[in-house]
Amino acid sequence: MRRPPRRSHLPTLLLEIGCEELPASACEAAAAQLPDLVRAHVWADGEPRIFVGPRRLAFLLQDLPEHEADRTDRRRGPSEEVAFDAGGKPTAAAEGFARSNGVAVDELERADGFVWATRRTEGRRMTEVLPDALARVVRGLAFPKTMRWDGGGLRFARPVRWLCAKLDGETVTVSLDPIPSEGTSQGHRFVAGEVEIPAASEYAERLRDAGVEPDQDVRREEIVRALEDLGEWSDPYGVLDEVIHLVERPLVLTGRYDERFLELPARVVETVMQSHQRYFPLEPGRFAFVANGGDPDVIRAGHENVLAGRLDDAAFSYARDVELGIEAMRDRLPAITFHARAGSFAEKAVRLASLSEALGGGEASVEAAALAKADQASTMVHEFPELEGVIGAVYAREAGMPEAVAKAIEEQYLPAGPRDRLPETAAGRVLAAVDRVDNLAVAFALGERPTGSRDPYGLRRGAIGLCRLAVEGGLEIPVPELVARDLALLTEQGADVSDDPSEVWPFVLERLEGLLDVPVEFVRAARAAPVAELRAVALLARALAAAADSASFTQAHTAYDRASRLAGRANGAASELDPRLITDEAEAALVGALAVVAPRMEAAVEERDFAQAIEAAGELGAPVGRFFDEVLVMAEDRAVRANRLRLLLDVRDALAMLGDLSQIPR
Amino acid sequence: MAAPTYQETILALERFWADYGCVILQPYHTEVGAGTFNPATFLRCLGPEPWKAAYVEPSLRPSDGRYGENPYRFQQFWQYQVVLKPTPDDVLDVYFESLRTLGIDPVRHDVRLVEDDWEGPTLGASGLGWEVWIDGLEVTQFTYFQQLGSLDLDLITAEIVYGTERLAMFLQGKTSAFELEWAPGVTWGDVYRENERQWSVYNFEQADVSLLTRRFEEHERDCERLLEARLPIPAYDEVLKCSHAFNLLDARGAISVTERAAYIARVRNLARRVALAYLEPRRRGEAAAEEKSPAHAAA
Repeated sequence: MRRPPRRSHLPTLLLEIGCEELPASACEAAAAQLPDLVRAHVWADGEPRIFVGPRRLAFLLQDLPEHEADRTDRRRGPSEEVAFDAGGKPTAAAEGFARSNGVAVDELERADGFVWATRRTEGRRMTEVLPDALARVVRGLAFPKTMRWDGGGLRFARPVRWLCAKLDGETVTVSLDPIPSEGTSQGHRFVAGEVEIPAASEYAERLRDAGVEPDQDVRREEIVRALEDLGEWSDPYGVLDEVIHLVERPLVLTGRYDERFLELPARVVETVMQSHQRYFPLEPGRFAFVANGGDPDVIRAGHENVLAGRLDDAAFSYARDVELGIEAMRDRLPAITFHARAGSFAEKAVRLASLSEALGGGEASVEAAALAKADQASTMVHEFPELEGVIGAVYAREAGMPEAVAKAIEEQYLPAGPRDRLPETAAGRVLAAVDRVDNLAVAFALGERPTGSRDPYGLRRGAIGLCRLAVEGGLEIPVPELVARDLALLTEQGADVSDDPSEVWPFVLERLEGLLDVPVEFVRAARAAPVAELRAVALLARALAAAADSASFTQAHTAYDRASRLAGRANGAASELDPRLITDEAEAALVGALAVVAPRMEAAVEERDFAQAIEAAGELGAPVGRFFDEVLVMAEDRAVRANRLRLLLDVRDALAMLGDLSQIPR
Repeated sequence: MAAPTYQETILALERFWADYGCVILQPYHTEVGAGTFNPATFLRCLGPEPWKAAYVEPSLRPSDGRYGENPYRFQQFWQYQVVLKPTPDDVLDVYFESLRTLGIDPVRHDVRLVEDDWEGPTLGASGLGWEVWIDGLEVTQFTYFQQLGSLDLDLITAEIVYGTERLAMFLQGKTSAFELEWAPGVTWGDVYRENERQWSVYNFEQADVSLLTRRFEEHERDCERLLEARLPIPAYDEVLKCSHAFNLLDARGAISVTERAAYIARVRNLARRVALAYLEPRRRGEAAAEEKSPAHAAA
């Protein structure tokens, strides 16, 4: 028979850290850290429920034990000879050791030549522990940016103005002077004052009565539900995550804006709404915003005015830009610095056009490259940097440029993140790739490659984008060749080159290791293949991984292993194979097989049909095996020996078209 | 109730902060980009002495001029600056009380504090704080200073900067600053529109680049001379003059991005040296006080 569940008498703990308005990033940092801090400082098995919002970071912890866990410490004392005299009686040393550990002398243990005291500490009552433990939780929170505000010495994301800690109905005074900790909280800043929290478990309910929704998930749901009810809403820049931490009680309202702004490009209107105001675009002419309370009619008018003002400002800038035109903007690029030591955007445009050509990008991408950075001279990009590219495309269309050119300009910054979409057009992919290659080459050439967490130009992200353009976009990107070309141009343009940028290639390949869906050793093997082209490395890595269990691969791997091991160790290989020195039948068979297989592999690699290349490579397995069984490589005749070593090197080099197979463990 | 005129709004702020106990100052006599540059903020917020002050400051941002054609952008606008050192615990409540005095009832409006960490690279100044939004309109910048003159501060100052035009536009329901009623029958535009036009022409087209470049260097040298003479207060005016010359050169497009960083570093370096010189007698004083203290006498 099952026993009815026993009603828990264990108490619930609340800690609320009352703050001045916290940034959303601080709320998220606290939500991520609080569970571990609670387990470290309060209760190792605790599963706290977390509340974060602009004015409070809090947790509730149910069924907290009334005592800390008991502790046992076993301590080593003096050696047995010191602790006991010849008659086996405890000495003063033993007595002192026992006393200092709070045990009787006859409780001392003897082991391993020493005496030991085992001390049991009964866990203290939670009410005794909590004032300091909770202070440690508060102090333990780490934020991206912290500040001071008074003499209290605590650094926090924003000033902490109160603490409210309750163990059921009992107030816990947190030891964090001079911050008041009196068991009361604060309601909504303008509609409620101090709030009594009679018991920890009533926390959320009491705050809701005081105009605050403390649960971030509930706020999110409320906002999303209200937006859904309004119809088509969008959040192109992802401001929702921030908005849920900008309000304590969300009030979702709508406003309108004048139809004349619909003449602006839709992206401009969306950017104006989202980038500063954090509004959500609805159907044309309407927007939603999330207020923190107030009289809907009063605040709607205010928000509509503000948006109208900002759209007006944007329309003013847009009209000026259109009047100027994209070609005039391009002509201003010599005056705009791309990088202090690598010249202007005009010089960058020259490099991009040259690289696009080298990449076989065709007319549209070369033309787009020349205009790609023109919008850096626009007022709109100055006001809204997030519009770069997009607004350049608008101005290109205004100027009557071909759509392929405009689209490439628009897509040059894609993909912006690991999950962002790729450019749709071929010219866009080419431009996106060469822009990244140039960013990487410039930074490396100027000695500014990323180190540790320092990556101010987002080069890692750029390199990952480059890999995706090759892997998912199918673009062939011969990175080393492009970097070399870029370096030549940079030097010609008089850039302050200090370092060799050829390190860009391994840097990009390292990103590929993390990106590809195959075990890393296959990418490491493929990296060594003499293809020097990003897409090919990726295809080869996948082909190797796919063939890993096949007979061909095993044969090729073994042959590579044996050939490279012996040939690599021995000096004195001939510089070229001399057919007249081939005497042995097995040797002749290997020479014959190599003469057939190597060109087949080469052709397959050329075609990027790496599965075919692996299959061909496998055919060397048997002749290599037979060669080692029947032929003495280290023959006494030096010329014969040199010739055989040469043969093995040729075998190894042929197989190395598949990369460094020794990276793949068998 | 009729909306307050622009000058009534400023007078209400003066009254409120005077009643709070601030020293009410007048604008500084040298061009500054923001009220923070006024020595009543920059110098007074260094060191351990308490200080509460409030004043109107004309803020000159040469590159923000729009020839009087844009109703939101000006090369000169008016900030109302309040500094409270040390920061009172209820500083935000006091600030919101000031809004009520102006006729803004936070209960009826959507009032939000939106993260905005401030940095003044020429002054080596930084702080954490917010933009205060009322119904989506940014009306105030609120900053807890952490550094001035590249030095960590002894006492933390709360700096409250009201954008007076924005506030008045909000209170008067206007969408153009030029239409603000400054005094009965006189608009902001009547007073300043022609100024905006002429100064924009000067800032963008007429300012003499070689003269300004030379002036920058002269002020820099004079600042160093005055620092040698242990006169940090006059030396600080030279920092302001350097800063303004730099802003004008920048508006004229006469400074490349590389040079820009170098100019900023030069001004910041002067500001740091002025801050150190300003603090020096206080540090000496502390050392002297410590030597005389009984603890030291006993040891």
